[in-house]
Amino acid sequence: MLDVDERTPPLIVHHGEGFSLQQFPLGTRVVYPPDSLPGLPDVTAAIDAALDEPIDSPPLDELLFADMRLAIVFDDLSIPLPPMRAPDIRQRVVEAVIERAAQAGVDDVHLIAANSLHRRMTPDELQHILGERVFRSFWPERLRNHDAEDPDDLVVLGETGHGEVVEINRTAAEADLLVYVNVNLIAMNGGDKSVPVGLASYRSLRHHHNVHTMLHSRSFNDPPRSAMHHSYDRMGDVVADTVRLFQIETTVNNETFPPQFDFLNTREWEWSYRQQGAYLAAKRANELAPAKVRRKVWQAVEAPYEVTSVNAGEVNAVHERTLANVHRQQLTEIDGQADILVFGLPYLCPYNVNSVMNPILVSCLGLGYYFNMYKNRPVVREGGVLIAFHPVPWEFHQVHHPSYVDFFDEVLAETTDPAAIEAKFEQAYATDPWYVHLYRTSYAYHGVHPFYMWYWGAHALDHLDDVIFVGANRKSVRRMGFRSASTFNDALEMASDSVGRSPRITYMHTPPLTMAEVR
Amino acid sequence: MSSAETTGLAERLAGRRVVLTGATGFVGQALLERLVVDLPDTPVSVLLRPKGRATAAARVAELADKPVFGRAQERLGGADAVRAHLAERVHAIDADLANGVPDLPDDTGVVLHTAATVAFDPGIDEAFSSNVTGATNVFDAASRCSSRPHVVHVSTAYVAGVTKGVVPEGPLDHNVDWSAELAAAQQWRAEAEAYSRRPEVLRRLQRRAASDHRRAGPQAVAQDTERRRRQLVTDRLVEAGRSRAQSLGWPDVYTFTKALGERAAEAHAGELPVSIVRPSIIESALAHPYPGWLEGFKMMDPIILAYGRGALPDFPGIPDGVIDLIPVDLVANGLLAIAAHPPSDGAASHYHISSGHRNPIIFDRLYRLVRDYYRDDPLPDPHHGDVRVPEWKFPGGAKLERLLRLAERAVDTSDRALGLLPRSDRVRGWMTTTHRRRRQVELLRRYSDLYGAYAEAEVLYTDDRAEALRCSLSPDDARDFGFDPTAIDWAQYLQEAHLPVISAWMRGPSQPAIASPLAEPDGNDRVLAVFDLEGTVLDSNVVRGYLAARLADLPRRRWAGELVDLVSSLPGYLAAERRDRGEFLRAFYKRYEGCDVDELRRLVDEELAETLLRQAAPEAVRRVRKHRAAGHRTVLVTGALEELVGPLAPLFDSVVAARLAVEDGRCTGHLSQPPLVGEGRAAWLRRYAQTEGFDLSKCWAYADSHSDLPLLEAVGNPVAVNPDAGLYRVARPRRWPVEKWGSRDDKSSSVLTGAR
Repeated sequence: MLDVDERTPPLIVHHGEGFSLQQFPLGTRVVYPPDSLPGLPDVTAAIDAALDEPIDSPPLDELLFADMRLAIVFDDLSIPLPPMRAPDIRQRVVEAVIERAAQAGVDDVHLIAANSLHRRMTPDELQHILGERVFRSFWPERLRNHDAEDPDDLVVLGETGHGEVVEINRTAAEADLLVYVNVNLIAMNGGDKSVPVGLASYRSLRHHHNVHTMLHSRSFNDPPRSAMHHSYDRMGDVVADTVRLFQIETTVNNETFPPQFDFLNTREWEWSYRQQGAYLAAKRANELAPAKVRRKVWQAVEAPYEVTSVNAGEVNAVHERTLANVHRQQLTEIDGQADILVFGLPYLCPYNVNSVMNPILVSCLGLGYYFNMYKNRPVVREGGVLIAFHPVPWEFHQVHHPSYVDFFDEVLAETTDPAAIEAKFEQAYATDPWYVHLYRTSYAYHGVHPFYMWYWGAHALDHLDDVIFVGANRKSVRRMGFRSASTFNDALEMASDSVGRSPRITYMHTPPLTMAEVR
Repeated sequence: MSSAETTGLAERLAGRRVVLTGATGFVGQALLERLVVDLPDTPVSVLLRPKGRATAAARVAELADKPVFGRAQERLGGADAVRAHLAERVHAIDADLANGVPDLPDDTGVVLHTAATVAFDPGIDEAFSSNVTGATNVFDAASRCSSRPHVVHVSTAYVAGVTKGVVPEGPLDHNVDWSAELAAAQQWRAEAEAYSRRPEVLRRLQRRAASDHRRAGPQAVAQDTERRRRQLVTDRLVEAGRSRAQSLGWPDVYTFTKALGERAAEAHAGELPVSIVRPSIIESALAHPYPGWLEGFKMMDPIILAYGRGALPDFPGIPDGVIDLIPVDLVANGLLAIAAHPPSDGAASHYHISSGHRNPIIFDRLYRLVRDYYRDDPLPDPHHGDVRVPEWKFPGGAKLERLLRLAERAVDTSDRALGLLPRSDRVRGWMTTTHRRRRQVELLRRYSDLYGAYAEAEVLYTDDRAEALRCSLSPDDARDFGFDPTAIDWAQYLQEAHLPVISAWMRGPSQPAIASPLAEPDGNDRVLAVFDLEGTVLDSNVVRGYLAARLADLPRRRWAGELVDLVSSLPGYLAAERRDRGEFLRAFYKRYEGCDVDELRRLVDEELAETLLRQAAPEAVRRVRKHRAAGHRTVLVTGALEELVGPLAPLFDSVVAARLAVEDGRCTGHLSQPPLVGEGRAAWLRRYAQTEGFDLSKCWAYADSHSDLPLLEAVGNPVAVNPDAGLYRVARPRRWPVEKWGSRDDKSSSVLTGAR
């Protein structure tokens, strides 16, 4: 936490594939994440300990037996962000599980990526997460992406008390043991989100991925206050009744950027001379680089994350500890709500790893993810203004996001109201044969995915009076119903229509990720 | 005739059969309506040329639906009642005036000869046969008739040519031998046809056609050659007419032949009572059947509309010259009054029905009224907002002519230059601008050639005889059949009746640039949508596809060699492509000699699928899907290899692609059947449509290249996508939708980076 005064230097603001130093008005409250926690000194030992002494569950070795069918399911490339420098924690955990299975004489092992309606991961991407050894042994027959449109590999486990259908991957559900390996980047992830969402079909997802639920999830990063998580929990109970599940959850610290960008991990007034030099060099190089090179450099960034916890056992008990660790790393307490909330949106969100961050994803990152990084009350008051920095280029990855292109051109051109969009367009996009074909055979997000991204911002759209993008493509911003300003000062001037001339401003200095607990 | 009569018009015409020619024309319809509705005791016959299977009677019956009978429809209760009434009242006679007129009914009292060609620039043969031969035939028939009917011959005030000064209502002052001119004119068609078939002429035409359409194939060239030959015949006939007319002092062949027609009429004045009536520029109705009634566009209207659209930056003409307009109902009334008053002596009576003498409107006032109307109520601009009409400066004919010639030369030069440039968005943008300029310049040229003389005429047509006749009408007739030009309030007539009517269709639901019958699925499963691949659906071409596949196949160290080889062969390929796309494809596919087919398929699936999908224009994918959603059958037609387009195949109902001949699992470098390009596509499509039962006039085709012209021409809904210069030049004048698909940014390198 910092209040900007005369001595405060300009502060780093992310701006897509770039960043700059921005002077903030006096009195601006700046929310930094807590210092990065130290990593576990011996991760292997921590994994072994978790597997040997799980919470509310027999040790893993006791659950393994010869001739059993074992399914190991893991989070996909949407977390952590940026992708973790090898070895990925999932690789280390999966290797440990496979080793124990081998010792127990288990032959029938299936590895399944819990990519839900996300795009399939390429062989390279799978190999990055699981390591060369696992990849070589299991690809492609026994290592694969979940296919939410494969009627033969889906099974309905039942319905919740609220009539929600639980339909998930059949291979995973019918295994004698399902081991789920997660990386819990933010408080929304993990727990009952893992199996009921990561392995689900559209039929099952629509019960919680909808506008009504999003409007009643305040925030979706605060599970007890999130209607979305209430639904996950109900589905989790159905899963628990039918599937033998062993959940392994891990958390990482806030070492988000590699050494050449480590000034992004450090508070500005603490920069060393080396970091100041690195900032200038990086900024200059970034500006001079051709767009393609710049994108390549940013997409190649790997985070030197360190592991802060490994827990295994019964899903809810494990997740309680995981959440505590996430909060320990990210939670900052602040007093009172602001009139204006400011973000610098980076180049990456969960859905454009090795891809293009299209306008819908920008909106989702700002109004969905970042806006909802709160506990108790939103950082900005109702009727307040969000100012976000991002160039919002009118740009799409046609292979990864084909339905996004059409969503942007056809749906948003007609209305930006999430409820209206849901009622009129969702069904057609979700069941469109071409999108289904691309999702299953190419590397495309499911046809309905852009809708979810738009719903993700429903709570913010409902709560805010105005959304202003600084330095953005005006056309794409206007298409989404937002406004654009050339400079931060212009944006403040525009915001004064809603919040007056002397607003309380809060700048969420992120990434590294930070979550605000607003009292 | 100086004091008002007691006998009314209806009474005078009662029991005297009126034979009307040109009943389907503008004046003819107005006359027929009055005769049938308001003169119940006058028997009516019409002479009409059968059209196709429609006899004269059928053509009369069709008139019942026309707006001119709107009043009658209300009174009688619907179009069917009017039809019945017409059948009862009107005696229809099949007659082609140019080829002889049958005997007229014995009780014929009046012949109203309104039939004429009113086009200003018809061929000389057509102008003579309808305006001179037609008239003489009508008079001959009238002479044969025992009742010695009164023939009212409708001419035009402009037969006086463009002489300055006052033109009285009397015979024209010239001594042109009309029968000699007629005989000469009749030779012209044979002569022009013979000229157009001379070998050196045909060769020249074919050369020109080939330079424009070679890429579209020999059939297209042949068709274009024949089109050019017919055009040449027409042009020569038009030119023959115009030059002969102008050499004798008339502005165009229309007024020239009408003047000769008057001579033919006057020749009969000894044996028959003959009246010659010369209306000025006939425009929409002042009051009857309703203000603003119009049938088709008249002389002035295209100019007004072009101005309203902002397409006429200026016009020849003198601001203080009188533009002599006369509403059609005044003409019809005048004709009926004249018909009821045959001349008593042996000479023909001449009448002017015009406004210039008693209620003149000068060009400048007319221009201001039109300008103010469009300023207050502008036409919609199809691109954005409203049209802002230009301010005319009246530079005078000579200066305008200079400017026009300069503009024509500039447009030609830039058009030629653009044709040589490779296609790109920027070039297409320039072409659009050039096309728009060309249309403007052509429009101005056309109107200024046709009508300039009228706008620059400083002539006054006196109407003293007509005025005397008006004064003699009974008060009732003056009210019901009046034709007094002083009754016209120009501002009110133009701004409240005429201009709204002619502008109405331009204001209708705006025609979107992109054809959109697809907005709603029509569920018609008998409709095909054919898509070309390269440059249309895909932002790529055969060479790129080959490179991607080939380089993916080769180890990196051998890329350089392959590239050098390809680049050194490029000039040859390009030359082949310019000659014939099929030849190019055959030459190019030789490169695949020795390729392992299974390996090629695997490569495409694993390495190229992503590249292909990335290069597919989202608009294309959307359009294909829209057609499918509408229940249409979508077909991809391409000269590219079947293997290379595999990843896109599921998007379409069927794919027609080139297939490599294979022996022992390896490509021979030849195709297993001729590549489907150019005319082959059109022929294939026709056959396909025939065997599968599709109606091509309802089908769609999307393509980008001039070589696809036959394919596009084969369907009812052609769409030019990212067209090259050749196709663009064809598409624009035919008003085919031209669409831009794909971002066209440089994604080429992704082919290389994608092929790891």
